[in-house]
Amino acid sequence: VRFRVAYAAAAIAASTAATALALLLSMIIIAIAGASPVDAMRALYEGAFGNRVQIAGTLTKMIPLVLVALGWIVAFSTNRINIGFEGQILIGGAAAAFIGLEVTGLAAPLHLGLALLVGVTAGGAYALIAAWLWARRSVNEIISTLLLNLIAVQLVSWLVHGPLQEPTRSFPRSDPVATSARWPKMVANTSLGYDLILALLLVVVVSFVLRRTTFGFRLRFTGANEEAARRAGIRTTFTTVLAFAVSGALAGLAGCSLILSSETGTLTDNFSAGYGFAGIVVALLARNKPAGVVPAALLLASLRQGGGLMEASVGVPASLVLITQGLVILLVAATAFVVERLWVVRVDAPTPAPDLTPAASMVKEAGR
Amino acid sequence: VSPFDVAWLSATIRLATPVLLASTGELVSERAGVLNIGLEGMILSGAFAGFLASYFSHSFLLGLGAAVLAGASLAAVMALVSIKARADQIVTGVGLNIVALGATTFAYREIFSGRPAIELALPQPIALPGLSDIPVIGPSFFRQTALVYVAFLAVGAVWLLLYRTTWGLSIRAAGELPTAADTSGANVDRIRWSCTIFAGAMAGLAGAYLSIGRVGFFTEGMSAGRGFIALAAVIFGGWRPVGVMLACLALGAADAIQLRLQAEPSVPSVLWLVIGLIAAAVVAAKWIRRRREPWSWMMLVVAISFAGIGLGMFVAAPQWRFPPQLWLSLPYVIALVALAGVVRRVRMPTALATPYVRGHEL
Repeated sequence: VRFRVAYAAAAIAASTAATALALLLSMIIIAIAGASPVDAMRALYEGAFGNRVQIAGTLTKMIPLVLVALGWIVAFSTNRINIGFEGQILIGGAAAAFIGLEVTGLAAPLHLGLALLVGVTAGGAYALIAAWLWARRSVNEIISTLLLNLIAVQLVSWLVHGPLQEPTRSFPRSDPVATSARWPKMVANTSLGYDLILALLLVVVVSFVLRRTTFGFRLRFTGANEEAARRAGIRTTFTTVLAFAVSGALAGLAGCSLILSSETGTLTDNFSAGYGFAGIVVALLARNKPAGVVPAALLLASLRQGGGLMEASVGVPASLVLITQGLVILLVAATAFVVERLWVVRVDAPTPAPDLTPAASMVKEAGR
Repeated sequence: VSPFDVAWLSATIRLATPVLLASTGELVSERAGVLNIGLEGMILSGAFAGFLASYFSHSFLLGLGAAVLAGASLAAVMALVSIKARADQIVTGVGLNIVALGATTFAYREIFSGRPAIELALPQPIALPGLSDIPVIGPSFFRQTALVYVAFLAVGAVWLLLYRTTWGLSIRAAGELPTAADTSGANVDRIRWSCTIFAGAMAGLAGAYLSIGRVGFFTEGMSAGRGFIALAAVIFGGWRPVGVMLACLALGAADAIQLRLQAEPSVPSVLWLVIGLIAAAVVAAKWIRRRREPWSWMMLVVAISFAGIGLGMFVAAPQWRFPPQLWLSLPYVIALVALAGVVRRVRMPTALATPYVRGHEL
């Protein structure tokens, strides 16, 4: 237990340091661009937490980030890398929008439920393409998910220029989805809906499933040592494919939120808006622990929310937020090995060679 | 009218060039064990740096230099984080892509907002004496700009490097079994550093070709997935220089035809014939390999019916229209299908995407 606490402390310290450094570098960039970093940071803060509407905006932007981060954690627990969240968000959201637009005459909770179900299934199914290619054709899932992202962008572009375009055909967007398919608002006159509760609930669920259920154990065992897991009787390929589908389903749910919880409720070109990659930043910042996802998502959501005001009032392009995000990824990645090393050394130090790699400890756990 | 003409061949070469430049570099770094997902970002920053430098210096060569420098310095960050700090290569690459997209967009808006949009002068094509007079092949292959020739010459150079030099042997060892390379006295980290930076420089060149080599301006996110296509081409080409070149040409051909089809009022009937014949050839090739197995004659039946359907569509010539988005997604779909088709028969470098830590087992 002491090692675990030490590890957690080191991880939190490293994540915080990485974020602080990324923000510092961003401030230097602002200064180079000729604006006052202090003013920019104040605008960023005001934009994210200035008043009720801004806070609600930040919390709204947190929802897809949390869901995508959970998706990454589930896939990564089996050692697979899903970078197709952008595509899965687009497909899931488009499917939900289709239900919201074309199905009529359903009562509010049913309509919303159906839209969510279809959106989640569509996101999962889209991820299954990559999972199938990986399992049956040994296609590297990183490349296939990246290509599937680009295909999904074109698919949604076709939908909003073709079958689902609004009747006047002058804008590349759909009509607003039916009110019965929208997420009800949690705070009146703001963008915040009840999907926040669902997202936070899912953090607990994913954490519980991964740590306390047989299914979660199978996922982690497969990820830690596939060969050993197979010899222990786990159907590793099936488990991995399932994890990938769940990962895509969570991104699909994020896509549903972006449509059914947005102020306009319309399907637009590229509505995933980089959430798919920002969600990965969240997961990495949380070092793949569900518990860490909430604060990490809050941080990135506030950057996103505040970036708009920063651009408007200080004149610093909001794409600075992208740079900050990328820097966070690089810095977290760079410190991961150091944290890992610290942990291994602490465990190894007392006796010569107690092999306490994750896989070995799991074999022990399985034997118990 | 057939869309498969000299202009199409010429466009194939032009569209294959940026992908070829990037994937030739990536090939070297993957053979050394470094998987560079950040290729897309390096192309993008090369495109921006190239445009920036030639906008202010009015010099094409300075633009090229700046692009190479930009790609290489991003690659140096990649090397620093993934080789020196032993971070996960994939995560690092994803981070670099985001930084590059943010930084180029940011800088472009900061520097060029309010300036008149201008198109820089493009480099002139060079007709190779003698070769350019050959009918069909001459005008399509041998009347291109200098960067196109550089891209194809680089394939030969990389082949020589990998298979005919000691250095190439060390590179391949670093990607297959770094422990062995280390034991035999090669410096794995130094090999990986130089290969990563080479890949970055080539990606920068690819970016320069996109901005100052072909259109004369820069747009935000103009690399448009070419880095990912280049990664696919390396796999599709089986991690071998000539294979990678053929993969890039095939993807370039698909890109050239989709550009053409966007402009056509309906799908030209000859396309159906070509698709039918390609599908038939793929299935027939599979039949030849597995003809001793029971039921393999079924494949032959499928191959013949593909060819038949293609021929039927060619004769019937249906006036179908498809949305431009379908054509735009075609190169990605083809890359995906190609990966699904070939990947099992090629073997990737064993230590690909594995950081090397001395004393740790691979």
